[in-house]
Amino acid sequence: MGSVEQRSAGSHRLQRAIVRLAAPFWVPLAALYLRFYQGYRIEGRAGLRERFAQMRRESAAPLLVCPNHLTLIDSALVAWALVPVWKLAFLGNWLLWNVPERENFARGPWQRAATYLAKCIPISRGGKRDEVAAVLARVTELTRSGEVALLFPEAGRSRSGRVEIESAAWGVGRIIASVPGCRVVCVYLRGQGQKSWSDLPMRGERFDVAVECIEPKSDQRGARRSREFARQVVTQLKEMEDRVQVGR
Amino acid sequence: MEQSEVMKSVVKILTPWAKNPDALAGVSMETNILDDLKVNSARLVDVVIAFEDEFDIEIADEDVDTVNTVGNAVNLIMSKLD
Repeated sequence: MGSVEQRSAGSHRLQRAIVRLAAPFWVPLAALYLRFYQGYRIEGRAGLRERFAQMRRESAAPLLVCPNHLTLIDSALVAWALVPVWKLAFLGNWLLWNVPERENFARGPWQRAATYLAKCIPISRGGKRDEVAAVLARVTELTRSGEVALLFPEAGRSRSGRVEIESAAWGVGRIIASVPGCRVVCVYLRGQGQKSWSDLPMRGERFDVAVECIEPKSDQRGARRSREFARQVVTQLKEMEDRVQVGR
Repeated sequence: MEQSEVMKSVVKILTPWAKNPDALAGVSMETNILDDLKVNSARLVDVVIAFEDEFDIEIADEDVDTVNTVGNAVNLIMSKLD
């Protein structure tokens, strides 16, 4: 293991330990905010949690969680939908690593501290290539080592309000390409009143959620391979969106 | 292939992705692809694949991490053509 990787692994261990101490305090508060202040409800929550637990149980292969993206709190909603609050608060490995946009979530020192405690590795979308690559390398390393990270495979919140296959982000494909046997839990989450993208879902919103686990495959090489992986994930989300829309 | 030929082809490939026509008009080796030309970072992969097709080369994901400017792209392609 090189010195850069050792430093990175050390910083992950430290962050994981600090998050484990902090999560019992902030996770229940976040859940109370979502459930009682905002009045959100996840349809079929118990079944979703059982399915996600089963996906984690049935194989030791690396796992990424890739949801569609419509609001700024999608990652919190996805975690709440897939994992019981007590597990998020007390079992550190159930709290997913998250890669939020630095401009939205980690501008000042307080925001940076909050994202650190929320197990986040901020990224600057469209930032310098080497900085973006360093974050992708960290997530790759975490995924390889059996940690579960959540990444949005579309480049930002969908401006059309629909999953767009052409918006597949290269970074997700790169991580999948770098992690042999990587499985992807595709999560389609949408509020019943959500017409397009927004900062927050409306209060009292009820969310429909669909979950599918895929293992992307490709015969391509290099950048073409990464693009194909990213497209397979977003195509899966698109199919799930179509099914959810038909079911409404 | 001469550097000027590669540069010309690179600029031609970048043209449909560039959202800043002024920067494109004055493009040089120092022009930053994302910051100056305003190419969407998520679409950089399509640009790279277009380079692969145009020059019949293969570019690894890691190679792209070194590409910030048009000059970086030209030099990367030249190194693959050698």
